[in-house]
Amino acid sequence: MNHVIKCFGVTKRYGELVAVDEVSLDVEQGEIFGLVGPNGAGKTTLIEMLEGLRVPDSGSIDVLGLVPSRSPSKLQERIGVQLQTTSVQPKLKVREAVSLFASFYEHRSPNLDQLLEMLSVRDKANTQFRKLSGGQKQRIAIALALVNDPAILFFDEISTGLDPQARRAMWDLIRSIQSQGRTTFMTTHYMEEAEALCDRVAVIDHGRIIALDTPRDLIRRFASESRISFRIENGEPAVAALEALSGVTCVDASNERFSLHTKDDSATIQELVRLADANDFRLHEIQTATPTLDDVFLLLTGRELRE
Amino acid sequence: MKTRGILRFALSEFRLNLRDPAMTFWAIVFPALVIGVMGAVLSQPMPEEEFGGLSFAGYMLPGAISLVIMASAFIGAPITLTTYRQTGVLRRLRVTPMGTLSLVLGFSMSQLVTMIVGMIVLFITAALVLDVGVAGSWAGLIGVIFLGMVTMLSLGGAIGSVARSPGSSMAISWIFYLPMMYLSDMWVPIAVLPGWLQTVAKALPLTPLNTLLRDIFFGRPLVDPWRIAVLAGWAAVGILITRRFFRWE
Repeated sequence: MNHVIKCFGVTKRYGELVAVDEVSLDVEQGEIFGLVGPNGAGKTTLIEMLEGLRVPDSGSIDVLGLVPSRSPSKLQERIGVQLQTTSVQPKLKVREAVSLFASFYEHRSPNLDQLLEMLSVRDKANTQFRKLSGGQKQRIAIALALVNDPAILFFDEISTGLDPQARRAMWDLIRSIQSQGRTTFMTTHYMEEAEALCDRVAVIDHGRIIALDTPRDLIRRFASESRISFRIENGEPAVAALEALSGVTCVDASNERFSLHTKDDSATIQELVRLADANDFRLHEIQTATPTLDDVFLLLTGRELRE
Repeated sequence: MKTRGILRFALSEFRLNLRDPAMTFWAIVFPALVIGVMGAVLSQPMPEEEFGGLSFAGYMLPGAISLVIMASAFIGAPITLTTYRQTGVLRRLRVTPMGTLSLVLGFSMSQLVTMIVGMIVLFITAALVLDVGVAGSWAGLIGVIFLGMVTMLSLGGAIGSVARSPGSSMAISWIFYLPMMYLSDMWVPIAVLPGWLQTVAKALPLTPLNTLLRDIFFGRPLVDPWRIAVLAGWAAVGILITRRFFRWE
């Protein structure tokens, strides 16, 4: 495997606070790598060390064969960055901004208009940045990150504040960036986004990586239980009979609604239907919920509110 | 050194200055307006004997030149700098290969070009309504104006680095600028001030600029070369403070 980012034992302290604690991870070329964690977990500090904006206190970082803090300009030539809470000059027009930022690089994307086209902002080329919508501003942020035809893109909570349509459009965009052979390292606090988009996800909390795997394997490992819930109108099955179904670990019954937690949803469903037939009661409003990355996240990082 | 990037950044920031009505008015329109109105009010081209028979331009233009420099370098530039810091523009510029020095050079050039445009508009206006009688050398005049621009720009950079918001940058600029308008030989001749106040005034950054300009307009010999040192000294102070306190975010 060709690793374009290598971190080993990376630590960053702010006074007493250990913002990033002994983080080691590798990112493969061409993958979309997601970093998820609660607010204040250390996501932004870590990504900004990879970009060369912050210097780690200890540990080593290698991005494209460079040490970010030692050769920031060389690194910037080859990566594209979108930061949280940045902006371009408010009265700069879109085309001006893109060609200004392109002029900062030795190696430039050959066709900037095509770039605006790909990001669906070509018709805004002569619009000042301050007059764009939130989704358009984020797309300009991506355009600016792509002007130098970078090998790696860093996105820090790129879809925060976007409406659902704009977020889906953003996902398509990130996938098309991946299809061009680029690597993406992104942070997000939307688990749905990480699950839909990322090849691998690292969960960070209190500065430490507490899990790192593909979304599917994270779910399989940490949240194996599905939930089947239903209502029964005629009759009342014995809770013990439900508990005896294959795979069931726990049964909740409230307001005429039953909820089965199961390790094997297909076997449970089959036996549940047989049980209903045998005892002559009808199942209504059947819902099944397979575990999501959200469940993994809450399991790993707890439910208490941060900040 | 990223020559292409520096020039494009300078051009871009200059264009943005022109898109900012406040900057355009105070640095380019207003100083020319002052001279235009003065020229219209004063009907005769040469002053009476009580003014020493010297040109009006020599009385008016140093103040107007300072208006251009102060509006752009001492007030406008730090507001832009603090706004860019507050809104994350500086952070965005930082994650490019440009590097601090190239960005500082580009930004400074954009302000210099803005001031040069202000000067051209001012001198054209003056030529139309007054007699731009420069009794001394034009080379000396241009040299002093350039030194003044660099000094005020470095002090503007210092204010923009120390101030945390555009509002506080404006407050700091005006706290220094207002007394200097009266003490710095700008519109009120320094000779009318009491002796001790003259000593204070002579140490301010704007005083040597105005005095040097007036001397050149009147064709007086350079009797006090230390004035140039005072200007250069303030430029050094500005650069040191900027280096010490500049923050990206």
